[in-house]
Amino acid sequence: MSTFHGLEMAKQALFTQQMGLYTTGHNLSNVNTEGFSRQRVNFEAMSPFPSASRNRPSIPGQLGTGVMAGTVQRIRDAYLDSQYRTQNSKTAYWETRATALNRMESFMNEMDETNGLSKTMNDFWKSLETLSTNPENAGARGVAVENGVMVAESFNHIATSLEQIQKDLRTQIGTYNDDTKEYDGKIGDANALLKQINDLNKQIGEVEPLGYLPNDLYDRRDRLIDELSSIIKIDVKYEKSGDSSLKIADGIAVIRLANQDGTPTNHVLLSATDRNLTDDKIGQFGVTDVSGKNAIGSITFTKAGDSNGNFEIENDDFLKYDGSLKALIETYGYVKQEGTETKITGDFSDTLERLNKLAENFAKAFNEVHQTGYVVLKEGETATDDKKGKAFFVTKDGSGSITAKNLAVSSEIREHPDLLAISSDGKFGNGDVAKKLAEVMTEPLKDNALGSQTSVKGYFQQIISKMAVDTRAANQRVANDNVLQQKIQNDRLSVSAVSIDEEMTNLLKFQHAYNASARSMTAMDEILDKIINSMGLVGR
Amino acid sequence: MRITQGMISNNMMSNLTKSYSSMNKYMDQLNTGKKISKPSDNPFIAIKGLDYRTQLAQVEQYKGNASEVDLWMDNSDSALNGVTAGLQRLQDLARQGANGTYSESERLNMKAEAEQIKDDLISIANRKVNDRYIFNGTDTKTPLLDKDGVMSEDSKNQKPILIHVAENIELQANVDGAKVFGGDFFKNIDDFIQALDSNDQTGIGKAIGTLQANIDTSVNERANLGARMNRLDLIKNRLDNQEITATDIMSKNENVDYEKAITDLLTQETMHRAALAAGSRVIQPTLVDFLR
Repeated sequence: MSTFHGLEMAKQALFTQQMGLYTTGHNLSNVNTEGFSRQRVNFEAMSPFPSASRNRPSIPGQLGTGVMAGTVQRIRDAYLDSQYRTQNSKTAYWETRATALNRMESFMNEMDETNGLSKTMNDFWKSLETLSTNPENAGARGVAVENGVMVAESFNHIATSLEQIQKDLRTQIGTYNDDTKEYDGKIGDANALLKQINDLNKQIGEVEPLGYLPNDLYDRRDRLIDELSSIIKIDVKYEKSGDSSLKIADGIAVIRLANQDGTPTNHVLLSATDRNLTDDKIGQFGVTDVSGKNAIGSITFTKAGDSNGNFEIENDDFLKYDGSLKALIETYGYVKQEGTETKITGDFSDTLERLNKLAENFAKAFNEVHQTGYVVLKEGETATDDKKGKAFFVTKDGSGSITAKNLAVSSEIREHPDLLAISSDGKFGNGDVAKKLAEVMTEPLKDNALGSQTSVKGYFQQIISKMAVDTRAANQRVANDNVLQQKIQNDRLSVSAVSIDEEMTNLLKFQHAYNASARSMTAMDEILDKIINSMGLVGR
Repeated sequence: MRITQGMISNNMMSNLTKSYSSMNKYMDQLNTGKKISKPSDNPFIAIKGLDYRTQLAQVEQYKGNASEVDLWMDNSDSALNGVTAGLQRLQDLARQGANGTYSESERLNMKAEAEQIKDDLISIANRKVNDRYIFNGTDTKTPLLDKDGVMSEDSKNQKPILIHVAENIELQANVDGAKVFGGDFFKNIDDFIQALDSNDQTGIGKAIGTLQANIDTSVNERANLGARMNRLDLIKNRLDNQEITATDIMSKNENVDYEKAITDLLTQETMHRAALAAGSRVIQPTLVDFLR
């Protein structure tokens, strides 16, 4: 038993309590840091004296030798992390989808009474009916033609706006930049995250074998993995970083794509050995487009370091992996295999296709009726075939097929409304054809062109109602999923977040212990003082 | 469960956001007077709304069309009234002329009056309303008769003017002028005038009968028109009712129930205030405030 045993023990105690104080301070400093997990010093009693050995002193024992800091550990529950990430993929998917659909809706808001295709169609219908009762009225004729122009422009506006958002969605998915050799957008984000996680894996792999716990690196890595889980659904497993690493060390994160049920697939995004590779050699996502179409063909994953790690997610297989990337591709457009047929689908692609079908069939039916009528005859002209109406709706660019985007009213008819052919016999007071033109909008088109018993207006209502139902479903899912996610996040915070009150309590706890240890050191000091300065002076 | 300050602030923020979003919804409803502002708020209401709006637009248009038909019919009716009156006067003249007590010079006076009446009838047949000839079918640019009252086969047009007054219902707005003024209409009058001119009492007597035939045709056409006018009145009544019903249904479908919206807003406001008050008390103190 050493003379200085007590002094040494008090010193250790001071150091250890100080560590506790510092860690408390660290926690308090990071009380508002996103993704920070509170840390705690695991105090351990030092090995007692004497230890079992042949030349042990013959004293009663064992005698405690004080305290030491075992490890500094972060308080976190890996199970909650994996729950959070599964939910995060879903929430991000629905949020991204809802945003895209809400944007679509804002351009097709038929509830707006001053605007919208239904409103312009109603106006067009009314003006044709008015014209049928007043075929001689040049004003009514001009109004009818201009209302036709409004209908065409409404089609144009919706189609151009939707195409604009669609283009924007494609940008959000990410495009390859030839200069930087990298993707931007969501694909770029995912790639950057993989690189950063790999970098942290590397650092963690260097620290852990030294017997340390790189808590703050863990926190940073977990945050990045959370972020990656919002883009695509992943599974995370951990591998030991080295033989000398602590048992409670997290290890190296291995990331795979995950199935709907959360089980890992064999598509590895980041392996444990990737930390030995340079940034440009680890696996990176990419996308391929279907040429000439607004559709994504496949998501690729290319590993420059090892082509065995390459894989490709084709057609609609990406739908298995929740996350914002899925929502973007699904709304933008993708290839779908139906039996032996490949077809382009997706919310924006489908809506545009339906609008095009509507515009084309409407224009066709309208023109057919218009061509049965006679234009206004001039003095001395007779109702011959060359006085019959020409196409009322044409294409803006003169191309053959009418789409919602290039639908226009013949410029000739706009300049000379007399060319609007509404007379069934060439007589001026005959407006029979105007009535038939109005009916094109309200009566089912012939040959079931838009579906059985479906009129132009009815088909447009179908488009609106599908969009409204989809948007509503997405909005509701966002609300529900946010609640779920918040619940899990709260569970996680409940474990990991810093509580000021708790830290203050700890602060006092450690301070008291520190003070007490200091007092114990003073006591030792007094003992030594006695020994050195006062002992052996009997009777002096 | 371990609760930390951070969790309390997070929860408070998310609850306040939710509360603001409901208040925003009620405020929107009160400001616009509509239950929904975009189709996804309630697709069912939205689609029904589109239908009702189309229906209402159609009813309004049909009402407009019906007044147009009214205009045609009123004008045709008053014109036919003039025709009958003119013909009856001619018949009166014929009755007088057939009476032996009148002298030749008096018959010549009668002839002058008859010629005036004939001109009047020609002008009625060529009546123009709003720059349209109302008795020549769809050929509203050309008069039915030339100035001598001759109806050429080329220029006459018997196509009815059909106007939509309800879904799938077309009403003939005009009267077929060729039926009224065609046939022997003017020949009978001319024969009568000829008979007056030549002081031919038997001819004049015969005219009483032939003119009656003219009167019969025009009265028949007028009765026909009257029947259509009655039908139009019925349709107009129905359109008025439909308009009221459509407006009412549309309003019930999408207009906000103010009592409910205001109550909801007040309830939400109370909850919001409570949340703010509770939150502001909970997030303030920590242990730090009590340690000295």
